[in-house]
Order: sequence, then structure tokens, then C-alpha cells
Amino acid sequence: MNPIEAETKKVEGRDPATVRLKREYEAEVENKVASDYSHIVWAYGIIWALFAIYGVILWRRSVAQRADLDALTAKLAGK
Amino acid sequence: MSKYVPYVLLAGAAALFPYCVQRVFLHTPIEAEMGTAQKIFYFHVPLAWICMLFAVVCGIAAGIQLSKRSERAEAVAVAAGEMTVLAGLGVLITGPIWGDATWGTPWTGDARQVSTALLWLVFVAYLLVRRYGPSNSERIAAALAIFGAIDVPIIYYAVKIWKTTHPQTGVVGSLPDSMWNTLWVCLLALMMLSVAFVWIRAGQERTASALDRAWIAAESPLPKPA
Repeated sequence: MNPIEAETKKVEGRDPATVRLKREYEAEVENKVASDYSHIVWAYGIIWALFAIYGVILWRRSVAQRADLDALTAKLAGK
Repeated sequence: MSKYVPYVLLAGAAALFPYCVQRVFLHTPIEAEMGTAQKIFYFHVPLAWICMLFAVVCGIAAGIQLSKRSERAEAVAVAAGEMTVLAGLGVLITGPIWGDATWGTPWTGDARQVSTALLWLVFVAYLLVRRYGPSNSERIAAALAIFGAIDVPIIYYAVKIWKTTHPQTGVVGSLPDSMWNTLWVCLLALMMLSVAFVWIRAGQERTASALDRAWIAAESPLPKPA
């Protein structure tokens, strides 16, 4: 054996069945992560949307009350 | 001074939310069994705690309103009732989403799910009676709120009393530090936001009562001099 051959290691390929099995596992994990992210986006999106909508409702109610107060002030001033 | 408190809380929550997301997705490890979907936990659980907390606050305030006829207590009860419905809706939507990802089904009908749904329905009924009920329906509404608050310990102990698909209550205490700290940061952000909203809503309720009285006084004829 020449010195170069002694320093290198023979490449041994994986058998096709093992490669297919590994790819199947990888695809399963990929699908699970994609599905998990989809669920997370929906969950977080809905939580923030609920709070944002409630915030807008509070703000609109506050604006309506201010208008009501202005109307009352105007009525009292004209009395 | 106290009128600035909710806005300070809102500013704090707005600053904290991006940090929460950063912590949840970049600094907290992925849970081994449930995978990435477990990250729903960091907002689902605090929302459930907030829902139960404000249900109790609403029940207590309604009790004070019934016994002392306190307008302040009534305003707090209404605001806390709305927050219970809002947070409860969040829990009832995010829970099935998480369940679908980890259990393979959104609804198993277990005791904790059903008792949480009942709590939500009771407080929806409270708000509907409060808003659309006839005059003097405030007392019926207050009784409903007290009834709803009694459901809170049932939700808490549901996983101990009955066999459920929900994890036991002790699971939160057994979390590793990285997950535990993230949970607290998310709880703090959501709590600041919820308290700010309840504070603002209670203020609006009191303003509405004061405005109603002022309108009645303004529209009633002036007493004739004797």
C-alpha cells in the first residue's frame, strides 16, 4: 500500500434503504415544524388581534364620551 | 396622577412585547416532546391566569356592589368582566390550536376545557344582562358574576379531580429556568396590558354614569322659586 492510500480512508456509501429512511424522517420533521409554525402564527395572531380590537373599542368609546361631554357643556352654556 | 397609570402600563407592555417574542423564539429551547408548537404555551397559560384572576376580581367587585351599592365597585366589575371574556376567548381559541398541534385534536372535552368554556359563557351572560337587561338587572348580573367566580377553583382543580388530557398544575413549577423566565416575562407583558385596559374601562364606566346623571339634571326643569 502506498503512503497516500494509507493516510486516506475508503469511502463507504450508505445503503439506499437507510438513505430513504433518513429522508423520510427528515420529511416528517420538516412537516411537523411547518405545521407547528402555522399553529403558532394563528395562535399569536388571534391573541394580538383580540387585544388590538378591544383597544380600538375602548378608544372609540372614549371619543364618544368626549363628544357627549362637549354636547352637555354646550347645552349648559346655552341654558 | 393616577390617570397616567394605564398609559404607563400600555407603554411598558408595548416595549415588552417585542422582547417576549424575541425570548420565546430565539432564547428559549424547543420542548422535546411537543416540539415548536409548545411555544403557544407562553401566551396561552398567562391568558388563562389573567382570565381567572379577573373573574375573581369581577366576582368580588360584584359582591361589594351588591352589599354596599358602590358605583366604583360596579365599574370595576364591568371592566373585569369584559377582560375575563376577552382573555377567556383567547384561551378558548389558542388552547384548541395548541391541542390540534400536540394532541391531534382541538377539543377533547376534558374537565378543564369544559369548565373554562362554562366560565366564559357565564361572563358573557353577565355582560349581556348588564347591557341589555331591564332596569335593576344589575343585581341579577352581579349574582351571575359571583356564580362565575366560583367556577375558578373548579377550573384550577379540574386536572386533579378528574382524568384530563391537560397537564397537571405542577407542570409549570417543574419547567427549566429558561422556559420559566420566558413565561414570567410574557405574563408581565400581558398583565400590564390587561390591567391598563381594565383601568381605562372602569374609568369609562364611571364617566358614563356621571354623564347620565348630568344629562338628567340638565334636562329636568329648574325648580320654581317659592
